[in-house]
Amino acid sequence: MQRFFFNKRLIIILVTIIIGFTLIAFSIVVRNNRSTPTFIQQVGNGAVNLVDRVVGVPINGLKDTGNSVSELLNTYRENQTLKKKVDSLAAHEVQNQVLKRENKKLKRELNLKNSLTDFKLTTAAVTARTPSSWQNQIIISKGSLAGIKKNQAVVSQHGLIGRVTEVNASTSKVELISNNNSSADQFATQVLAKSGAVNGLITGYSKKTNLLTMGQITSQRKINKGDEVVTSGLGGNSPEGLLVGKVVKVKKDEYGLSSTVLIKPAADLSDLQIVSVAKRID
Amino acid sequence: MRISKMRYFFPLGLLLTLLLDGIFSNLFAAEFFRPNSMIESRLFVVWLVMALCFGEIDHPYLWAVIAGLIFDIYYTGIIGPMFMILPLIVYLTNLMYRFLTPSFIVVLLICLIDITVITTLFYGIFFAISYTSVSLSEFIGETLGPTLAYNLAALVILYWPLKKFFEEFSGNRSV
Repeated sequence: MQRFFFNKRLIIILVTIIIGFTLIAFSIVVRNNRSTPTFIQQVGNGAVNLVDRVVGVPINGLKDTGNSVSELLNTYRENQTLKKKVDSLAAHEVQNQVLKRENKKLKRELNLKNSLTDFKLTTAAVTARTPSSWQNQIIISKGSLAGIKKNQAVVSQHGLIGRVTEVNASTSKVELISNNNSSADQFATQVLAKSGAVNGLITGYSKKTNLLTMGQITSQRKINKGDEVVTSGLGGNSPEGLLVGKVVKVKKDEYGLSSTVLIKPAADLSDLQIVSVAKRID
Repeated sequence: MRISKMRYFFPLGLLLTLLLDGIFSNLFAAEFFRPNSMIESRLFVVWLVMALCFGEIDHPYLWAVIAGLIFDIYYTGIIGPMFMILPLIVYLTNLMYRFLTPSFIVVLLICLIDITVITTLFYGIFFAISYTSVSLSEFIGETLGPTLAYNLAALVILYWPLKKFFEEFSGNRSV
């Protein structure tokens, strides 16, 4: 009798492990090859997200109240510095508008409909973050109904934060650029150096220093500290010109042939409430 | 026979704590995910352990599987890890609780073992599918330690209210 129970338990454990690992393999295949997950996953995600948003309201409210109190204390100092910036900003804006109009006109003359710099932003609220050390992933409250597609680039108000990895009807998952796993996408980026643009790929992220690594650089142009880094739009998923960050350091690899650039991300990856998904128009 | 209210409260609480984990992780991301100390919020495990120890719950394995699936589908997008780990946790908790007299220290110990098992297995699976390349020593120092500290602190704070709650609503059942 004892033996019978032991066998039964063993079979349950084995079956669970087999089902579990089959599911893991299945979901990785789906994630790598299909544009949307299975129907059951979609329904589950939608339903849970709805409840999550309701639960999140009071807690986010509390946090916002706390934030507003601390912001109120900083307001005077902030106002002083902002006042100085406003004047130059107005001038920039006018200049920007003129250039945009000129750009449009020139494009029309060249018969160029859309270029890599044209994109539309879809704004979404962040409902939750994966409570796991192994995936830096957030869940946003817009999905395929709002026109979001897999692999689109996601930005916060400061700069690039990641890309969409899973799209459901009304929710999506965004993998942050701080993710360091083997399946993470490599953003095609370029350094706007004084001597011209230098193309490369984001190849990694260092958790310790909070710096992105940009590799695959073949150009010999000189890159300076403080140069801005933007997406180049060459990867096919992200538009051109989304700010990634600033160059902190340029290193030669061990053979002295190609250089790697260390980038400080412009966006704060630990403070995300509202993000925008950049949709390329081309 | 009266139907126990626990029948509704337990799954609702499980879902609520599960969602709170994600919300807290996002709101306090700066505090939770630091360069050398990562906290994985597992409030739903605290709820599960307290419920198994002090409440009378129908079908704990079923709810554990459902909670695991929700975690996998909603948070990670990789179905399987929690789906396998959570029923094991229910089994472990029941096993340990049967041999020990219930007290604060015992529950704390059970929760400690459960969260260690969850965090380690979760890391093991993600390491196996190469979603992380962190070494075992780094994992123990940077994730396991802070995770245990945070979740046990949560248990210490929630112990008395949850104990009262579960005893109250499970006690109604025999009436």
